[in-house]
Amino acid sequence: MQKEVVDSMAMKRALTRITYEIIEQNKGIRDIVLVGIKTRGVYVAQRIAARLQQLEGATIPVGELDITAFRDDHPQDIASAPSDYQLTFSVADKRVILVDDVLFTGRTIRAALDALMGGGRPQSIALAVLVDRGHRELPIRADFIGKNIPTARQERIKVSVTEVDGHDGVEIIN
Amino acid sequence: MADRYLILEDGSAYLGEGFGSPAVSTGEIVFNTSMTGYQEIITNQIYHNQIIAFTQPTIGSYGINHDSYESILPTVKGVVVRDVASISTNRQRRWSLDQYLKQQNIPGISHIDTRHLAKQLRASGPMKASIVDVADAHAFDQLGATVLTNQQVAAVATPKPFPNPGTGLNVVVVDFGLKHGILRELSKRACNVTVLPYTATTEEIINLDPDGVILSTGPGKPQDLPDSVLTMIQNIQNRIPLFAIGLGHELFAMANGASIMKLSPEHHGANHPIREVITNQIIYASQGQGFAVDPATIDRNKLITTFVDLIDGTIQGLRFRDFPAFSVQFFPDGAPGPTEVRDIFDEFVESMQQARGPIW
Repeated sequence: MQKEVVDSMAMKRALTRITYEIIEQNKGIRDIVLVGIKTRGVYVAQRIAARLQQLEGATIPVGELDITAFRDDHPQDIASAPSDYQLTFSVADKRVILVDDVLFTGRTIRAALDALMGGGRPQSIALAVLVDRGHRELPIRADFIGKNIPTARQERIKVSVTEVDGHDGVEIIN
Repeated sequence: MADRYLILEDGSAYLGEGFGSPAVSTGEIVFNTSMTGYQEIITNQIYHNQIIAFTQPTIGSYGINHDSYESILPTVKGVVVRDVASISTNRQRRWSLDQYLKQQNIPGISHIDTRHLAKQLRASGPMKASIVDVADAHAFDQLGATVLTNQQVAAVATPKPFPNPGTGLNVVVVDFGLKHGILRELSKRACNVTVLPYTATTEEIINLDPDGVILSTGPGKPQDLPDSVLTMIQNIQNRIPLFAIGLGHELFAMANGASIMKLSPEHHGANHPIREVITNQIIYASQGQGFAVDPATIDRNKLITTFVDLIDGTIQGLRFRDFPAFSVQFFPDGAPGPTEVRDIFDEFVESMQQARGPIW
């Protein structure tokens, strides 16, 4: 069974609200960089960056992070883990906002923190997610949440973005 | 139908035909360009003590229905139209406009060259006007001598708190001359609402433990309200999510150091494209404003401009930088339409949910 819990309008609002909350909590956009986690986190990050640009008239750097090699559930990848720093800009002294579509166990975020290392020492790292579905396995929480969706563990959450899936929305599948 | 006159403060007179109540009345005349929605406009309390001239040539063709009241009793002083529909048809129709205005003791006047009148008002700004039986020197003397009250909010806002119960989030609406659309949109979202008089103090609001506060629309000039209202806003805005609409928006801006200017020509209608700054999208909304926030006086370290009118560049929405307090000048309840701005109420509900934190 599949049920749409966030439609395109609600998704647009969630991104708008996250953008305002970023400005509220950082007292502006000074030193802010966005880092999207591939695949859909990147598009979410780009949309937030576009909104920040509309409001503040300044371009916010958006980085893309591929965390596959840093996952803890593929031991063979760790052996061959690339230590290459993936971003095209340094995060030293920046206020980094990691962006992903869904926050679940927290393991992706832990891997993303690993992948960010080597880019200098950021002022701070915050986390923005479109959906927080609970069931954390690590001491990680989001600073900016589009929508809290309580789920059962075996359910799946599917975030669609126009750039990849042809439409915007969040579906719950069980 | 009897011949009647619409006379204006500047000495001009228009011959027309009376409908509705035969009463003689005086108020400030404004023109409204909405194509539909005359019932919502006539019953909107922002038009307290005003005479509304509709530029849409035929008014009344779908009568008056149960669902489109924006207040219990309308307090407009008159309705000016080119043609009043002699036959009105609609599935939901209860009365004709003529019957309704008779019941409410509001005079109407038809066969007025509303296009000419609108041009005149566009040049002069709103002025005093009367609907009278004889346009003689005496009538003009009377009109000139009439002093219109500046205590409109006190006249239309509720004197006592009242509830509009729901099962969801707890919302306090501060009433400056509420339109029903605000309560209707909150009801749709199951909010548990308490409406307080505009004289409500910070303590009275905080003691109700609201998840969010709405400052309602209302009539008149924001500077005519007591400073205690601004103090209340300053004390509330950083503690509880705040959504201010219309007159509430002007007060929210004043509470944060901006000043309010008279707008000429005024905005009464739904034909202005408005840009939502954050998404760069164009929206349309019903407007009813005689005042606007002066853009030069906005402290950009405090407020972000969120909506801009593309016809004259006036500010249509503001938001505080440091906490979830935001406002719109237009009517987000979509009564009358366009309805596309109603999701600002969803934004407000989501801000309240976010401020409360997750449910687990």
